[in-house]
Amino acid sequence: MMSLLAAPPAAAARVRRARPGSLAVALTVLVVVLLPVAVTTERFLTLGNARAILASAALVGITAIGATLVMIAGSAVSMAASQTATVVAMVFLATLGQGLLGATLLALLTGVVLTAVQGLAVGYWEANPIVLTIAAGFAIGGGAIWFSGGTPVSAASDGFDVLNATPLGLPLAVYVLLVLAVLAEWILRRTTAGRQLYLVGENRAAARAAGLPVGRVTVVAWAFFGLCLAVTGVFLAAFNTSATTNLAGTLTLDAIAAVLVGGTAIAGGKGSALRTLGGAVLISVISDVLLLRGYSTGVQILVKGILVLAVVVLVHVRGRR
Amino acid sequence: MRPALRQERIVPAAALLLVVVAFVLTPLGTGLPLTTFDVYNALQGFAQIGLLALAIGLTMIAGEFDLSVVGTYAVGGMIAVQAGQSSAVLGLLVAVAVGAAVGAVQGALIAWLRVPSVPVTLAAYIALLGLAYAISGGLSVTFTNRAATLWVDHTIAGVFSPRSLVTLAAFVLVAVVLGGTRLGAELRAIGGDRRASRVAGVRVERKLVLLFTTSGTLAALGGALLSFSFASANPDPGLRPLLIAAVAALLGGASLAGGRGTAAGLLAGALSVALLAQIVAVAYLPDYSTQLFYAALLAVVVAIDSPGLRRGLARLRARTRPVGA
Repeated sequence: MMSLLAAPPAAAARVRRARPGSLAVALTVLVVVLLPVAVTTERFLTLGNARAILASAALVGITAIGATLVMIAGSAVSMAASQTATVVAMVFLATLGQGLLGATLLALLTGVVLTAVQGLAVGYWEANPIVLTIAAGFAIGGGAIWFSGGTPVSAASDGFDVLNATPLGLPLAVYVLLVLAVLAEWILRRTTAGRQLYLVGENRAAARAAGLPVGRVTVVAWAFFGLCLAVTGVFLAAFNTSATTNLAGTLTLDAIAAVLVGGTAIAGGKGSALRTLGGAVLISVISDVLLLRGYSTGVQILVKGILVLAVVVLVHVRGRR
Repeated sequence: MRPALRQERIVPAAALLLVVVAFVLTPLGTGLPLTTFDVYNALQGFAQIGLLALAIGLTMIAGEFDLSVVGTYAVGGMIAVQAGQSSAVLGLLVAVAVGAAVGAVQGALIAWLRVPSVPVTLAAYIALLGLAYAISGGLSVTFTNRAATLWVDHTIAGVFSPRSLVTLAAFVLVAVVLGGTRLGAELRAIGGDRRASRVAGVRVERKLVLLFTTSGTLAALGGALLSFSFASANPDPGLRPLLIAAVAALLGGASLAGGRGTAAGLLAGALSVALLAQIVAVAYLPDYSTQLFYAALLAVVVAIDSPGLRRGLARLRARTRPVGA
């Protein structure tokens, strides 16, 4: 364990080689199957379509990057993602009168605090994350209706337009997704807290016995997740210009799906933010190809589910060797 | 072992007692007496989530967590309506068969490949949601068999309906099977310590396949009965039914750590959740208060179930209490 801490690059290389060699095989197979289908699809190979793919991956991707850290830390999944993003969106829109910067900061703070508190309970109390986040989801969702009176929250001013900008033809959210993915990967690979995240996820009892700050590391992961959720919420608010209680829709499970397709193991201790980014884009590409070929929404969702299932089984079976 | 046993009885008993007392006391707040119709409605609410709670609760006893039940619930409801336009029984049978098959496939993956159940059932949920969309075109499908719709909800003895009686019967059946055979003890053993149960001769893999087949069957049956009752099937019920069923199972004394829970406890949990919703309806409380009540009840479950919190409290008590007291 000492050597793992002392030599992060070597450890990182080992982690990368040991497991996801298997994922590389799977991805190659997938690309070999997908590529001819995609390339022969009319209008797939256009700049506009590439933009559409990235744009549709952006919001789920941002949340998924945060969820990756939580899953690596062994806290499995959060069932409160949609509700948190919705509340953040409401806070953002309601406080826009204070200026864009103030509203954004307040919104980010809301997301970080709401989620970090759950991290405290998971990290220090060893609360079950699924039960806890179901409870948090009910509390946050119920609270949101309580405060908003059940009516849509609309923008207090139109200062949010800058968030809908499309520099170089791409939505701002895509750039933010890339920055957050690189930042998360850097935290995971290059910082002590990041390395400790893997150890806590791999074996919590051993990490505790080794004197690692299990509680603090867990809170850091959840706080980062909260930040990502809040960013998603702010973009959702800017895009929709008003927030209803089901604004974030299926965000919770879509984000988990992206993390899983990225090959992060649900049991913790393994995974990478960049691969989650890949997972989010892959899901987006496949949905796009199916859409262009005229398949219904149902078929798109069905294929997504089967893809997630296949990757989960593959990652698990190869990972055990 | 003892705290776990204590909890699996006390939590459901306390939850049910609390909610029943609150239900009986609602006239004090509303000024209107309770009617048998209120009880009937509460039992209808129980029928709506009971089978789902039983399905997810059983998997929790064995240390698994079947998120796909709400997908099977949706697909079961959709298939029952589409296959049951002329014969409701046929629709019910097809739905239940599909539910069983969906459960068996997942059980096989979880048992023999030993993949954790959360990601498998999550993926299956997404796929099933897609399937429900695909076979319905994404729209609600109307059930034209009016005779069946009227039959499933007609009142029996004032407070029951065939739907709530079927749900109750499923609980009784599961209770008898788990209590009367080794299956109950084996399921808890699988959830409590899987390796030890394997060493002790429990055929873990077969039991897991059976378990997920059962949860798929129950979920599909629940969905089918619901869409008969609503006279329509909705391709996307959302996550809400799953979360409410999980609340019921947790209040029923099951835990995500596994090894704990009984059919009677799950019944008490499902009844508590249904009664709570009925109290909110009868007392004209705003809709969101149900969610806040669920959150509060779950917070208690979380606190009881957190080893770190318990250790911390024990330390605190040791520090504040004088030595020898």
